[in-house]
Amino acid sequence: MKKILFHTGGNLSNMFSRKILIYMRNALFLLFITAFNVFANDSYSQNTKVNLDMKDVPVAKVLSAIEEQSEFYFLFNARLIDVNRNVSVKAENAKISDILSTVFKNDNVDYIVYGRQIILSPKNLDAGETLFQQQIITGTVTDAASGEPLPGVNIVVKGTTQGVISDLNGKYSITVSSSNVVLVFSFIGYVTQEVPVAGKNNVDVALVQEIKELDEVVVVGYGTQKRSDITGSVASVSKERLSSIPVTNFMHAIQGSTAGLLVTQTSSVPGSSGVMQVRGVNSINANTSPFIVLDGIPFFGSTNDINTNDIESIEILKDASAVAIYGTRGANGVILITTKRGPKSQGKPMINYHTNIGMEQMSHVLKPMSPAAYVKKYADYMEQNGMTQTMVLPNSSEVDNYNAGITTDWLNEITQSGRFQEHNISISGGTEHIQYYVSGSHLDQDGVVKGYQYKRTSFRSNLDAKITDFLKIGASGFVTNNNYDGGRVNFLNGNAMSPYSVPRDSLGNYIIYPMYPELMFVNPLIGLTVQRKDRGLNLTGNGYAEITPGFLKGFKYRLNASYIYNITRFAQYTGRAYNDQSGTATLEDSQTDTWVIENIVSYTKDFGKHHFDFTGLYSAQKVEYFRGWSRATTFINDALAYYDLAAGTSQSNDSQGNIYTLASQMGRINYSYDSRYLLTITARRDGYSAFGANTSKYGLFPSVAVGWNIANESFMKNIAAINQLKLRVSYGETGNQAIGVNQTVTTASTVKYPFGRTALTGVLFSTMGNANLNWETTTGVNVGIDFGLFGNRVSGTAEVYKTQTSDILLRRNLPGITGYNNVWANLGRMQNVGLDFTLKTVNVQTDNIRWVTDLNFSTYKNEILELYGDGKDDIGNNWFIGHPLRIIYDYEKVGIWQEGEDVSQTDPVAKPGDLKFKDQNGDHKITADDRVIVGQRDPKWIGGMTNTFTYKNFNISIFLQTSQGGLKSNRDLTYADEAWRRNLPADFKYWTPENKSNYWPSLAAYKNYRGFQFAEDYSYVRIKDITLSYTIPKSFISRYKLEGLTVYISGRNLYTFTKWFGWDPEMTYYSRGWSDSSGSWENNYPPVRTISFGLNLGL
Amino acid sequence: MKKYIRMIVGALLVLTFIVGCDDSFLDEKVLDAYAPATLKDKLGFEAAAIGLYNHFSTFLTTTDDQTILGMFQLGTDIVWNPMGRSNGLARPYHDYATLTSTDGASIRLWRYLYRLISNANILIKNAESGSIAGMTQQEIDAYNGEARFFRAYAYNMLATLYGGVPLVTEPVTQAKTDFVRASLSDVNNLIIHDLTFAVDHLPDIDQAKEARVNKSAARQLLAEVYLRTNQPSKAETLCTEIIESGNFSLIKQRYGDVSNPGDPFSDMFRVGKQRRTQGNKEVIWILEQENPTDVPNGSTGYPQQRRIWGAGYHDEPGMQPCDSLGGRGLTRMRLNNWVLYGLYPPGDMRNSRFSIHRQHYFNNTQSKFDNIRGKAVPYGKDTLFVLANNDTIKIFALDTVYKLAPYTLKWGHFDPRDVFGYGMWKDFVLMRLGETYLLRAEARFYQSNFSGAADDINELRIRANAPLVSASDITLDFILDERARELLAEENRRMTLVRTGTLVERARRLNGTTPLANGNIETTNGLQDFHTLLPIPQTEIDLNKDAVLEQNPGY
Repeated sequence: MKKILFHTGGNLSNMFSRKILIYMRNALFLLFITAFNVFANDSYSQNTKVNLDMKDVPVAKVLSAIEEQSEFYFLFNARLIDVNRNVSVKAENAKISDILSTVFKNDNVDYIVYGRQIILSPKNLDAGETLFQQQIITGTVTDAASGEPLPGVNIVVKGTTQGVISDLNGKYSITVSSSNVVLVFSFIGYVTQEVPVAGKNNVDVALVQEIKELDEVVVVGYGTQKRSDITGSVASVSKERLSSIPVTNFMHAIQGSTAGLLVTQTSSVPGSSGVMQVRGVNSINANTSPFIVLDGIPFFGSTNDINTNDIESIEILKDASAVAIYGTRGANGVILITTKRGPKSQGKPMINYHTNIGMEQMSHVLKPMSPAAYVKKYADYMEQNGMTQTMVLPNSSEVDNYNAGITTDWLNEITQSGRFQEHNISISGGTEHIQYYVSGSHLDQDGVVKGYQYKRTSFRSNLDAKITDFLKIGASGFVTNNNYDGGRVNFLNGNAMSPYSVPRDSLGNYIIYPMYPELMFVNPLIGLTVQRKDRGLNLTGNGYAEITPGFLKGFKYRLNASYIYNITRFAQYTGRAYNDQSGTATLEDSQTDTWVIENIVSYTKDFGKHHFDFTGLYSAQKVEYFRGWSRATTFINDALAYYDLAAGTSQSNDSQGNIYTLASQMGRINYSYDSRYLLTITARRDGYSAFGANTSKYGLFPSVAVGWNIANESFMKNIAAINQLKLRVSYGETGNQAIGVNQTVTTASTVKYPFGRTALTGVLFSTMGNANLNWETTTGVNVGIDFGLFGNRVSGTAEVYKTQTSDILLRRNLPGITGYNNVWANLGRMQNVGLDFTLKTVNVQTDNIRWVTDLNFSTYKNEILELYGDGKDDIGNNWFIGHPLRIIYDYEKVGIWQEGEDVSQTDPVAKPGDLKFKDQNGDHKITADDRVIVGQRDPKWIGGMTNTFTYKNFNISIFLQTSQGGLKSNRDLTYADEAWRRNLPADFKYWTPENKSNYWPSLAAYKNYRGFQFAEDYSYVRIKDITLSYTIPKSFISRYKLEGLTVYISGRNLYTFTKWFGWDPEMTYYSRGWSDSSGSWENNYPPVRTISFGLNLGL
Repeated sequence: MKKYIRMIVGALLVLTFIVGCDDSFLDEKVLDAYAPATLKDKLGFEAAAIGLYNHFSTFLTTTDDQTILGMFQLGTDIVWNPMGRSNGLARPYHDYATLTSTDGASIRLWRYLYRLISNANILIKNAESGSIAGMTQQEIDAYNGEARFFRAYAYNMLATLYGGVPLVTEPVTQAKTDFVRASLSDVNNLIIHDLTFAVDHLPDIDQAKEARVNKSAARQLLAEVYLRTNQPSKAETLCTEIIESGNFSLIKQRYGDVSNPGDPFSDMFRVGKQRRTQGNKEVIWILEQENPTDVPNGSTGYPQQRRIWGAGYHDEPGMQPCDSLGGRGLTRMRLNNWVLYGLYPPGDMRNSRFSIHRQHYFNNTQSKFDNIRGKAVPYGKDTLFVLANNDTIKIFALDTVYKLAPYTLKWGHFDPRDVFGYGMWKDFVLMRLGETYLLRAEARFYQSNFSGAADDINELRIRANAPLVSASDITLDFILDERARELLAEENRRMTLVRTGTLVERARRLNGTTPLANGNIETTNGLQDFHTLLPIPQTEIDLNKDAVLEQNPGY
């Protein structure tokens, strides 16, 4: 994306894009030492021809048009070169030099070419020209950071047009009329400084560099906008973060990096992703994860399918105005991911190789009890339950091992040193007409728990071609194959295993029940004998055509077409070694076909200081899902695994399918006046097939936003400390369609029952439909301030928002008396009020040292305003009006009953060592009525802080992330009735008469018949990652014809500060018996610490 | 070139316009599930009926919590809880002090029964929606009767265990949260009405498909309802109709494969002999179970009956699971001493070693047990054995109290392919003629026909080679004792005792109220009169936000 270079304002510091600043000093230096020979011997510039046909437009427009058609950028000082003057140019296949000659023919303007820059300067520029002969002030202008002289600094006597420019050595000499004047020192990229002469003859000035970000161009959905023109809430994830954090999934890279974005890493299993939430929960049961848009097209697939190395930028749309263009899918925020594309006119291809090799280990080990503690625990259990202990341990096999002195370190048995390596190569390049970006990558990872592995191979090709002067087409496609194959260890069982048990028999085969005759916990390693294929393939192809007809200037039509093909394959065989004496083979294949077509028209018009643009969309989309499943059992032996299901004696199978469609129209108008007053109006109309037959299936979502660039006002000109100041206010509606298919019709599932040794087909009604089901609407207001102070050394954004969701899509639990468990309904209202705050400070900035701090903080309060329209709470669903949606409603634990305490007045059933609950209603017993709202599940606030230190070519960044104030159930505080028959964490304590605790209950059986959830605060501060990188000096690598080489070492999940008892505060897991859910330790494990080494090589 | 490009672009534009403008584009069609409207023909009725059996079986086959089936037996008069063995959902049913409105088993049972009612209501409504092409009224009525049987079954269980409950007789088609409890007599009237219809329209057993309900099953259930509602003469009539139908007879001779030792009574509970087509002429209603390894979808779960009733003998050194011992059990319940040592008269076939296993012999096939294999495993005393390899093993008296305690073989099942046996694959005998005699005896007792009651009981005692009784022996307690002798581990004991109003007295007297064996055996704890009825599930009360669902007193 080409950057827009010009502003019409007169403020020097706003004149140029950031990109230019890099070249500015060199350019001005050349300006002084080079003779003004126009278009020095540069064959490219000589050969570049452009076509122009412009009538009565500002010079700036002409320059801009030349930039559009070439790779050149113009550099100039707008005070010295008048670019607001209107000219007319007509040129066909003309040299740039010829056009410039025409444009400036009456002006005293010279131009030189330096690299890709064309520098414009007044011909009569003459340092030290004397206009008044009264007093001469001299001095030197330097860079405050480096102390080096600054040539080309503009020095003007305040209130006059009289000025000079500093010379090559930063020296200047100016004649002033009085000793009371004020000198204004300005230079592109530096903060303008005003210095009173105050009678001095020598005024030395050190200028401070300005940090600019407002002019970067950001993707906003169906188009791009300059950050300074944006009225909605759009956060960009810093590119540095994306490129320097060695992660396998982009979600890990953006975790904690952006205010208002909560990413929770739910697993460390290779190939696992995480859960995202933008600005709290807006929906109760419907999907609350943000909508992902990849290169402008709704993304279908696993987040694993996106190669992080291919990502150019990530933008997060947060408020109603920004997301309204995504209509029914915007309510939870939108994440826009843009992949890299080839540059225009890159002389030779850019080849980039990135590799990343690392090691993993458990970040925090919850050590199991030692053999001695394990023996003691069983004895204590027996005693506390009034049972007579007959054996030293519960199981005969344990006793055998105990007598023989055999123990096993099970954690050691089930874990390994994790490792991964990733290789990524990309080639990009292009000419004026065709640009390309192709990449390939391969990732190979072995987890820290045996059997967990992940391989990903992906290829991408992005192609853009300008076919004619009015037609541009492009295609991008990628293929990602994810491989999660392999039988896996059961981490939960590994933790549960008795230290007095052994994994293998004398022949080396896994013992199925190491704690025999205990059969609840099978050998954790036995899963390794499972033959398991688990694959996912994503094939995505996008094509676009863009038409810019010559007859209608500013008009553009774009057609996007996308086809996405996702397939998954799961095949598994369990055989004799897995204690499956008959053998079972399972196959599952699914296929999702998706197409999206989008017609986008846009029109841009500038007249005077008015800018206007319109975007219109008409799109349709269809998703078709199909799944086949089959299973065979009773094989002669294990030889065939899942390769011949017909070899099984009995077979069963199933299939499933559904289709949904979407049709949408959208319109957006952006208007700005003088880059000061901004207005955005959008409306989107969406139709979704899964809404009820009784509804129109369409929803309309309007929004409006205004912005005021206060810093561009003339009255702000003189306030040097404020570089940017923008106020934004938006208001609008968004929707949430995120219910699954087939929720509007009451359906029966097909079931089977055997009669006469044959299972016959039956139907069972278990899903209640609701034909009135419709979208939910979130209405939100957002007020934001973007600021940049002290030369943008301090910049940031503060936003407050309030959203209300009505007609909430809610899976409402029903009394079982209805025959159904729940039904989807549109009910109630919910509110989120929140604050997002982002701050970036450049604490130190010198030539060699730079220290930058990025801080983000967000908090919100979620509240149910209404449920059923009758003001009543819904205790059965734990929904309470005036409280957050996600709460813990439970008994309030106040301690542990101690010996001698009188239980009769509170909990007559309780015994010493039992959980002590508060009798909230004072009825002298603990009943369901004593449950209260204990706290909220979501954190009260989250934050992230990155400190980046740069010293010469070294760069170190330290990222801290925190989550505060949330509660969740802690499974490690209760093993309930399993406590005596499995091993427990070494730090798990229990009440005994000798060792009283007011926190840990006793081991006595069935302590928790009330279903207490053991909710605990999971607040934490995590050193999420530290990355140290070194960029090899160009002078060194250019000898080897390399473009760039950076090496880095990075550590992730280095340390966590928390009071949480357990493996990790962030991850939720379930107790035994939940193996089907992804959050079980039976198929998941806690976070790992990663140390990796990376290398980034440009050829 | 440009011309072609223009044409292609134009064509694409037209294409997208067409796609977008199709009115039916947003219609939703359910592809992989049936809607009620599609099920109004004979195959549809048949499928809906099979759905009822499927759902009906789920409580019997549940694996969510192995202990849950114990809720119908623990805390009554026949079984104890070996410490720690029934600590899940079943625990509050013997540790009554912990039985609260948030009880997990109560809500599961409640929701299961109302789901059954809901599906029956849909079938009944379809059957009564007017004429259905291709079906005779008789066929329609038979399906209607089948659905009404299940609806009555569910309401009878609710009425017995909870009292008056909300009456739902129509399919619920939208959210409803204003249910109120109906009076017990209204619930009873519905049950009687449904079962009367079922008796009239269900086919006789030999006309019905095996394992489908039939006229006699409806009669038997209705007889039980009449007993509960104090209409013993009607109950007697129905029992007599079953007995005199000529369709059933008590098993008095061994049948089927008799190569293994056994007796007529125990033959009825052997896999391969349970069904009518397999020679069991006593059975009135059986629910088929197939091992899913052999018959895909042969069960709706992994039934746990063997585990809760069978002993955990395999836990003892020198023992391993085997066929003749009924496979591997977990002793989640232990028959109490009244059942084991006081209930059966000498020689009663129902107490034979084929029905109640009492003595174990070391059977482990590992060579180190060579020198003790075949020796009797001592019971009730600590004993040390020195093995062939000089290892020692010790059998502890305390362990034997429940690991080796005598247990019923009615749920015994062993699959050599799956020695550890997660599921138990044998049919559920839901109703048999033996119980019909007991129900008639009860009906006659209530009508003071003591000799008639004695005659019925003697029918069973003749078969069991037990001493005959006379009219003077007949009391309600005696009938309940006889039910325990005959129907041990078959009947829902809690239902029987609640129905006859004897739960509290019999549980306290026969099961005891204090822990035994140094706390290793729990009996009943905290049982009060109000526990006769279960708590209405708290979540149901909470979710029913627009009306008050009265809680039963005491909770």
